[in-house]
Amino acid sequence: MTAVLKPTLARCLWVAPAFAALAILITVAARSLVGMTPVLQESTLLTVAYIAGGIGFIVGIGGFDYWFTWMRGGELDPNDHSQHGAHSWGDYFKFNTDHKVIGIQYIVFTFIMFLVGGMFAEIFRSELANPGQQVVTNQQYNGLISQHGVIMIFVFMVPVFAGIGNYVIPLMIGAADMAFPRLNAVSFWLLPVAAFTLLSSFMFGSFDGGWTGYPTLSEQSGYGMTLYQLGVQLAGASSIATAVNFLVTIIAMRAPGMTLFRMPLLVWANLATSALVVAATPFIAGAQFMAMFDREMGTHFFTVAGNGDTLVYQHIFWFYSHPAVYIMILPGFGIISEVIATHARKPVFGYRAVAFSSAGIAILGFAVWAHHMFASGMEPWLRVPIMLSTLLIAIPTGIKIFSWLGTMWGGVLRMTTANLFAIGFIFTFVIGGLSGVMLAVVPFDVSITNSYFIVAHFHYVLFGGSIMTIYAGFYHWFPKVTGRMYNEVLGRWHFWITFVAMNLTFFPMHYQGLEGMPRRVADYAPQFAWSNMLISIAAFILGASTLIFVYNMIHSARHGKKAGANPWGGLTLEWMLSSPPPIFNFPATPRVIGGPYRYGEEGAKHAIVPEVEPATVETTV
Amino acid sequence: MSAATDHSAPQIQPYRTGLRPEILGLIIFLVSEAALFGAFFMYYTNLRVLKGIPWPGDFDIPADSTSINTLILVLSSFTCEFALLSLDRRKNGAVFGWLLLTFLLGATFLGLQVHEYMIVGFTPADQSTGAIFFTLTGLHGTHVFIGLVLLLLGMIRALAGRWSPERHSGLLAISIYWHFVDIVWVILFTVVYCLPSS
Repeated sequence: MTAVLKPTLARCLWVAPAFAALAILITVAARSLVGMTPVLQESTLLTVAYIAGGIGFIVGIGGFDYWFTWMRGGELDPNDHSQHGAHSWGDYFKFNTDHKVIGIQYIVFTFIMFLVGGMFAEIFRSELANPGQQVVTNQQYNGLISQHGVIMIFVFMVPVFAGIGNYVIPLMIGAADMAFPRLNAVSFWLLPVAAFTLLSSFMFGSFDGGWTGYPTLSEQSGYGMTLYQLGVQLAGASSIATAVNFLVTIIAMRAPGMTLFRMPLLVWANLATSALVVAATPFIAGAQFMAMFDREMGTHFFTVAGNGDTLVYQHIFWFYSHPAVYIMILPGFGIISEVIATHARKPVFGYRAVAFSSAGIAILGFAVWAHHMFASGMEPWLRVPIMLSTLLIAIPTGIKIFSWLGTMWGGVLRMTTANLFAIGFIFTFVIGGLSGVMLAVVPFDVSITNSYFIVAHFHYVLFGGSIMTIYAGFYHWFPKVTGRMYNEVLGRWHFWITFVAMNLTFFPMHYQGLEGMPRRVADYAPQFAWSNMLISIAAFILGASTLIFVYNMIHSARHGKKAGANPWGGLTLEWMLSSPPPIFNFPATPRVIGGPYRYGEEGAKHAIVPEVEPATVETTV
Repeated sequence: MSAATDHSAPQIQPYRTGLRPEILGLIIFLVSEAALFGAFFMYYTNLRVLKGIPWPGDFDIPADSTSINTLILVLSSFTCEFALLSLDRRKNGAVFGWLLLTFLLGATFLGLQVHEYMIVGFTPADQSTGAIFFTLTGLHGTHVFIGLVLLLLGMIRALAGRWSPERHSGLLAISIYWHFVDIVWVILFTVVYCLPSS
C-alpha cells in the first residue's frame, strides 16, 4: 500500500491525474476570469490536461525528486546510489539511474512499440489485400497509416538506438555510467508519456495527416491531431535530453588513452547522431508548436485567410525530418561496424574513412531537406542545388559500404545470426540507397512523387537498413546483457524468413509506384490487385517471423547456454567484463593502449582493466 | 550478479575536459534552444524578409522604447556576472545581492514587454504576422521567466549558504543560461525591431 506514496508507477496512477485535474481547474478559472468563451472548451482543457498529466507522470515516478531537493536548498548526497542498479526485476519498472537498466527499459519498451506499429500495418495490409473496402473506412485507414508512421519513427526507431547506445557506450569507453544518470532516466520515462499521448488519440478519432501532419489538413482534423503534435514534441524532448547525455559522456568520460581515433565506431556513430539530434530536433518542435497554436489558439501561421504560408511548415518540418532519417540510420552503421569486425575477426577497413564519413553525413544532412519538397510548389531555383547535395550525400554512405566489404574481404566469416543480419543489411540497404539516388534526380522524383515507389524506398532503408542493424545489434550483445547464448538455429530461421519476407513485401512496391499507384490510399485501381495481395501475404509472414525472435529472446534469456564474458572473442572494452557486467561496470579505471580492432595482431590489446585503482585518485566534484 | 563481481562503488576518474560536464551539458542544451528559436526565426524570415508582409494594421514597431528594455537586459547580464565574481568563502551575501539585482532588472524587462504587448493594438490571432510577433517574443519571454525562476533558486541556495568557490557549478549554469537569454534577445531585437523588411 505504501507503493502509492513512494516513487513508483503505482504513485503515477494518482499523481498524473491530480496534475491534470489541477491544470484543468486553473485553466477554467483563468478562462472565466479573462472572459474567454466557452469556458469549458473541450480541446483546450484536454490539451492542458495532457501536458500537465505528462509532467505529473514524471513527478510521480520520482524523476524530479533530486532536483526538488536542490531547488529548496536542501543537502545533496552525490554518493546516494539507492536508485541505481538492477537488484531485482522490479527495478526495471522504476526510476533507475543505471545506464544498463535504462538501456533495457528502452529496448523492451520500444520493441513493444515496434510490435504495436507493426500491428497497425497488418490491419491496413489486410485492407489493401483486395480492391474495394472491406476492413476499415477511409478515415480509419488514414488514422492507421499515420499512427504506423509516427509510432515507428518517434517511439521505436529513434529511441531504440538510444537504448542500445545507453547500454553499450559507457562500457565501450570505460565509464562507470553516463554523464547524467538521472536525466537519462527522465529521458526514458518521457517515452511512455509520448506513446500514451499518441496512441490515446484513437479515442478522439486519431490523426489523419500521415506522420508529416501538413497544414491546412492538420488545422481541420479532429482533436487527435493535437495529440499527434504534442506526442511528437514529448518524444523530441526525450531524444534531445538523451543526445546531450551522449555528447557529454563521449566527450568527457572516455577512459585514459582513448583518443578520438581509438574509439570504437559505434561511439563515433552516436557522437555524430547526437550532434544531429541536438541541432535538428527543435525544428520539428517549432513546426508542431506553430501548427498546434493554429489549432488551439486561433493563430494564423498556416492559414490562407490570415496571410499565412503553408509551404514554410514543410521547410521547417523537413529541416528536422531529413536529418531525422540519418538519426535513424547512423547508429545502425556503427552497430554494423562492430558486428562485422568482431564476427570476421578483422580490423575495420578504413577506420578513419568510416569515422569521418559519419561526420560528413551529419553535416551534409542539413543541406538536403528540400528533396522531400520537389513537387510542393516551392521556389523552382532550389531544386537543382538540392538535387546536387542529395546526390553528394550518397558518397559518404558508399564509403562505409566499401569499408564493410573490405573488412569482410579476406576474413574468416563466422555466420552467426548477428553477422547474417549485418550482411543481409548491406544487401537490402544498398537497394534502398539505389532507389534513393534515383529519387534525388528531380525529373524522376516529380514523376513518381507520392506513389508507392517512395514507400518502397523508405521501407528498404528503414526496414532493410535500420531494422536489420537493430536485429544484428540485439543478437550481437544478447550474450553480454543476459549472460546466455541465444538459440542459433532459431536465429537463422528468424533471419532467413525476415530477409525473404521483407524483400517480397517491399520490392513489388517499386513496380507499383512506377505503374502509378498512389500512396496513403485505402483503395486502388484493379491492375494493382495481384501485387497488393502478394505484398499483404508477405507482410503477414514478416510479422509472424518477429514471433520467432521474441520467443528466442525470452526463452534463451532464461534457459540459454551460459555465455561467459567474451563468446565472440571481441576486443572492445565491454567484452572484458562479466556477462552481465557488475553494477558499476569496471573495478578500476581502464587504460586504453591501442585501437579497438587489433584482430590478428600478436599480443595486441585494446585496453587493460586493473583490479584496483593504481595511483592517487582525483576526486571529481 | 554475484557479490564478488558486484563492485559497490563507482571508480572515480578525472574528466577529460577542462569544463565541468554539467556546464558542457548546459551549453549543448543551449545549442538546442538556439535551434528552437531558429525554427521561429525561419518562419519570421520567410514571412517578413522574403515576402515582405507588413505588421497588422501597418503597425509601427517601437524600436526606440524597446531599446531601453534591451539595455536593461544587457545590464542584468553584467550584474549576473558580478554575482559570480563576488563568490567567496565567508558567506553568500554579495552573491545574493547581485542575483537579486539581476532578478529585479529581468523582472522589469518582462514587465515592460508585457506592457508593450498591451499597447501594440493587435493579438496573436491577428494574421500570420501577429502570430509570429507574439510567439517569437513570447518564446523569449518564457525563457526570461524560467531564468527568473532559476535566479530565485540561486538566491534561495545563497541564503542557505551553499555557494562556495569549490562548489558553484549551479551558479555558473544559472549565469550562462541568463547570458544566453540576453544574447537571444539582442539578436531578436535586431532582426525583428530594427531591420526593415523588404
